[in-house]
Formats: sequence, C-alpha cells, structure tokens
Amino acid sequence: MRGRKRERVEAQEMNLFSGIINGLGEIWAHKLRSFLTMLCVMLGVMSMVVTTGFVEGMFSSWSTSLDEQGGVEKISGMPRGVEKRQEPFRVLSPGLTLEDEQALRRLLPDLAHISPELDVTVTFQRRGKSHTGRLQGVMNDVFAINRYDVESGRKFVDLDLADRADVIVLGTEVADALFEKNEPVVGAWIEVDRRPMRVIGVLKHYESFYDDFNVLHWKNKIAFVPVTTLQYKLKPGSTLSWLNMKAVDLSKVGELVDAATNILGHRHRGIRDFEVKTNEERLASFSRTKASFYFFAAGIAGISLLVSGIGIMNLMLASINERVREIGIRKALGATGRNIFSQFVAEAVALSLFGGILGVGVAVGVIMTLKATLPPGLSPLLSGSAFVVGFTFSVVVGIIAGIYPAMQASKLDPIDALRYE
Amino acid sequence: MSADVIRFAGVCKRYPMGDTLVNALVDATFTIREGDFVSILGPSGSGKSTLMHLLGFLDSPTSGEILFEDRPIAEISADQRARIRAEKIGFVFQAFNLLPRMDVFTNTRLPLTYHPKPPADAAARIWNALELVDMKNRAHHRPGQLSGGQRQRVAIARALVNEPRILLADEPTGNLDSRTAATILDLFTELNRQGRTIVLVTHDPKIAAYSRRQIHVMDGRIVRVEA
Ligand SMILES: Nc1ncnc2c1ncn2[C@@H]1O[C@H](COP(=O)(O)OP(=O)(O)O)[C@@H](O)[C@H]1O
Ligand SMILES: [Mg+2]
Repeated sequence: MRGRKRERVEAQEMNLFSGIINGLGEIWAHKLRSFLTMLCVMLGVMSMVVTTGFVEGMFSSWSTSLDEQGGVEKISGMPRGVEKRQEPFRVLSPGLTLEDEQALRRLLPDLAHISPELDVTVTFQRRGKSHTGRLQGVMNDVFAINRYDVESGRKFVDLDLADRADVIVLGTEVADALFEKNEPVVGAWIEVDRRPMRVIGVLKHYESFYDDFNVLHWKNKIAFVPVTTLQYKLKPGSTLSWLNMKAVDLSKVGELVDAATNILGHRHRGIRDFEVKTNEERLASFSRTKASFYFFAAGIAGISLLVSGIGIMNLMLASINERVREIGIRKALGATGRNIFSQFVAEAVALSLFGGILGVGVAVGVIMTLKATLPPGLSPLLSGSAFVVGFTFSVVVGIIAGIYPAMQASKLDPIDALRYE
Repeated sequence: MSADVIRFAGVCKRYPMGDTLVNALVDATFTIREGDFVSILGPSGSGKSTLMHLLGFLDSPTSGEILFEDRPIAEISADQRARIRAEKIGFVFQAFNLLPRMDVFTNTRLPLTYHPKPPADAAARIWNALELVDMKNRAHHRPGQLSGGQRQRVAIARALVNEPRILLADEPTGNLDSRTAATILDLFTELNRQGRTIVLVTHDPKIAAYSRRQIHVMDGRIVRVEA
C-alpha cells in the first residue's frame, strides 16, 4: 500500500517535471505570444529587484554611517527653539553648557561616556597654507562615542582641559592641507583663526568605500581642541552645540533619556530649549522610512506582477482554447483532471519562471549601469534577497495565474474535447 | 466461461441536433469477454464510433447500463475511469489523434505517463511497441512528417504500449495499403492469441473476417451479434 502510494507520488513528480519541459515546448511553439507575456513578467520582476536594490542601497549606507556615529546606545542632547509661550522668558535658561555636562556626569552613573561638543568653522593656517574647515571643542569622550582613533601623537589630558591649552588633534585631511607629505605633523605649530596651537595628535585615516565613494570621508575633515579652549578662548561666550552621551547598555537608554531630560530641565529652569534624542529613534525612524519605501517598492512590483499575472492567464486561456483536442486526447489516454491541471499550472510556471529569470538577469544589468552612473549615495545594491523574492514571486504569480485556466482545462469532457474540430 | 470485460445492457445514445435528437445508438446489449476478438461491422454513420467511445467510457450513455469488469461505470468517478483507461484500455482512434508537437516516441509514451503504476522498463516498452508497427526508425519524427499510414501505425503502437487488457481500435487499417493492413491484422490476431481482448471497428467485411466474432450495426441498432 505504502509502496504504491510512493509510486504514485513519484509518477506525479515525473509528471510535474515533464510538465515543465512540455511547458517550455509550448512556449517555443508560440514564440511571439510567449515572449510578450514573459516580457511582462520580466519587467515586473526587474522593477521589483531594482527598487528593492535602491531601498537596500540606501539602508546600507545609512546604517554604516549610523554605526560610525556611536551606534544605538548613543543619546544626544541638542539645543532647539522653544515653544511660543516660553519665548518671552527664554533668557532664564543658560543654554547647553559645560555645567550641564558636569551635572549629568555626576548624577548619571549609567552613562559610559558624555561628550560635550562645540562645533564651529574656522580657518587653519600654516606657512602660507590655508584651509577652512570644521573644528570641534571636545573632551576625550568624543573618541569613544564617535569612534575616532589617534594614529600618531596623543589625545587630550585633564590638564589640557583645565588649562584651556592651545593644543589640537587633526584629521588626516586637515593635516594634508597644511603639511607636506614628509613633514612631521605632531609637535608642529599651526594657527587657528590666527591663534597659534600645537598639534599633539593626528587621527587615523578613515576609509570605507561604497562603490568609489568614501562614506567616512567626513571623519577625516575634522579637528579637535579641548572644549574649554574653544569655549573660553577661541569663541568666547558660546554655548555647546550638543552633548553626546553613551549608555553602558542598550537597556538603560530609555531610563537615561528620561533622567537627562529631567536634569537638563531643572538646570534650564524649565525652559525647553533642548531636546534629548537617541540614535535608536533615528534607527526607528529610518526603519519606518525603509518600511514605507519597501511598501512603495512592493506596490510597484505588485502592480507589474499583477499585470504579468493577467498576461499569463490570458495566454493560458487562449492556449487552452486552441488545445481542447490535445486535452481530450490526453484524457482518453488516461490523464485525470489533476494530471491536466498540473500540466497547465506547470506551463504557466515555466512561462513565469523563464520571465523571472530574464527579469533578474536584466535587473543585474540595470543595477550595474545605475551604479556606474548615479551618485554613490543613491546607487542601488545588488542583494541576494531581492533575487530570491523576485524568483519566488514569479513562480507564485505563475501558479496563481495558471490555476483558473488549468481548472477550466481539467474540467473539459474528453468526448467534447475529442469531437472539437 | 471466461470473465466479462465489458457488458452493455440496453444502452442508448442520443445526440441533440438542432431541435431534434439523433439516435446514434439504440438499445445495444452485448458482452465482450476476456480473450474476445470482436469486430463491430457497419456502414459509415451507423454508430460504430459512438459505440467505441462508450466502450472506453469516454462518453456516457443517454440510458442503459455499461459494466466494466462487472462494475457499473456510472458508479466510477471520472478520475478512476481515467486511471482504468491508462492501465487497461488501449485506444486506436479513427482520426489517429496524435499530438502534433511531440515526436513519435513521446506520443507513444503518453499512456505510460498517466499510468497509475508506471513500469520500470518504460523505454524498452516504447521501443518494443514501435518495433511491432515497424516505426522504430521514425521515433524522432513529428506526426506532421509522417504519411497517413505511418501515423496510424504510431497510433497503434501508442495503444499497445501500456499492454492493455482490452484494445479498442476504430478503423485501424483505414489508411493503410492492403499489405501493411494485413500485417497489422496479423499482429492483432497474434495479440489475441496471446490472450489480449480486442474490439475492432470497421466498415469492411474482409477486415471483420479476421475477428473471431462479429457484431453488425445498422442505423444505430445492433442487428446481429455472433456468439
Ligand atoms: N456529437 C455528435 N452530435 C450530433 N450527432 C452526432 C455526434 N456524434 C455522432 N453523431 C451522429 O451519430 C451517428 C453515428 O455516428 P458515428 O458513431 O460517428 O458513426 P460511424 O463511426 O459508424 O461512422 C451519425 O449520424 C452522426 O452524425
Ligand atoms: Mg466512425
């Protein structure tokens, strides 16, 4: 009994396989018609693979840069405009200051790092060379939070901060702009907005090529001085640009956001001229964006696949109409309704599978071309999942579009079919 | 007494034709037994093809009962009937009914692809069947590349490939020259001698003479059944 059942299953498998082979024969017999239908499937699968490629490309460059900005444990305190009702007395708040930093550091032991940062644009000069770029006033925590490494020389020491020392750490691009290739950089003096400062360190050179585009190039453009030096000597009276914090653990992030908001609220006398944000929020908002993009991509692909599904169904119905006699013969020779059904479903699948393979092939070409022509941040990614999805989708479309015509075929009465002239 | 393969009891078949009904077969009662070699003889339009379609339960009677191996076919599901056809019945159609887009070999294989228990030696059987009708050297031709006689021989090979219990042949020599026809009929005689049940439909008494007994049809009525 069991053996018999297996034989039957094997026979059916044989039947499905030979069904697909037969299907390819039918495709060949109606070259133009099949080609047009496959063109639909091809375009559908192609648009799906390409749009997913775009979304994945965007997401990949985003998450790389997010990682390099401290990852998901990062919390940022930022200044922001106050609400209208607080506008008249916003002067009550001292703004974001180093005192805030000290308070947070003292009160929140779950903070692994806290980095007050003051971000300005300055002109660097040395021996007739001049370079305009970003300068950040920082404490050593910035190296940990934002993942900077000093390649040569040293970081800051407590004394630098206490003394508001005129010392500076340069990113490689700034160093390259001011120094010749073989000149010693560490120990040399440069001018920052005409104020002499001694270079104590040079950062590592950052490279992460996404195509020909160094997505980390911004890390090489930076220069650091002690935050006290910048705040009291270079730009006296300025408040902090932001406060970056890092939790010891992802699970503490929520608590810390609440606590930091509270502490800053008190210190700013209730004036909400700051906001506390997390990378997690950015990640979440990106995931939402990504989801909506996927939705959009799926919409486009869905419509194209619907169109190709209709094309396949139409083709199958036409083909069945022409092959009533064949169906009758097969039934007379012992084909059951299910045999006929699976034959026609297999044909529809062969058709859409072929279209799907072509679509994936063309999509590879399109993505390669777009990568070569589009600006790097925008270019799509060739991802395996898009292929799997495109492939599966074309098979599913084939099956679904094939079911109705195949049912019609399987229900034909053999004698009507045989007499059909 | 050998077992009944097919039994007709008062079988009628009427076709609607405009407002009237055509009586293609009226009150047919007869039995085909194991090992029979029966010819159904009658002029064109007398209802022979209708009878043959009913014998292979491709069609259902308007009234009356058909029994296959003592089971009323009205009680057998369409799928089950298809399986019986694949396993036990070989058809040679008057119009050959080969699939035009497949080669001779694949056409011959068709009944085996639908066989509930496909034999392990399928390929050997196909070559064997083609050998019997002398079509081995045309195995990879399409039906369109063959003459009428050659197509008929392929149709016969296809009917024999599943080693059916009963062979139903509708004018199987209609397109053959008399020498080939004789070969085919000798083949039928030999198959019958080996125990195969054969029903041969023809309008030609000379061909009917090869069979062991004859059923005469005229205007849809069975006028004589030889014992
Ligand atoms: N599908 C049909 N519709 C209407 N009349 C039919 C149909 N099939 C057969 N007939 C009629 O039934 C009669 C018997 O036909 P058939 O069985 O083909 O005869 P034979 O094979 O002996 O030539 C003929 O009069 C034919 O016109
Ligand atoms: Mg006839």
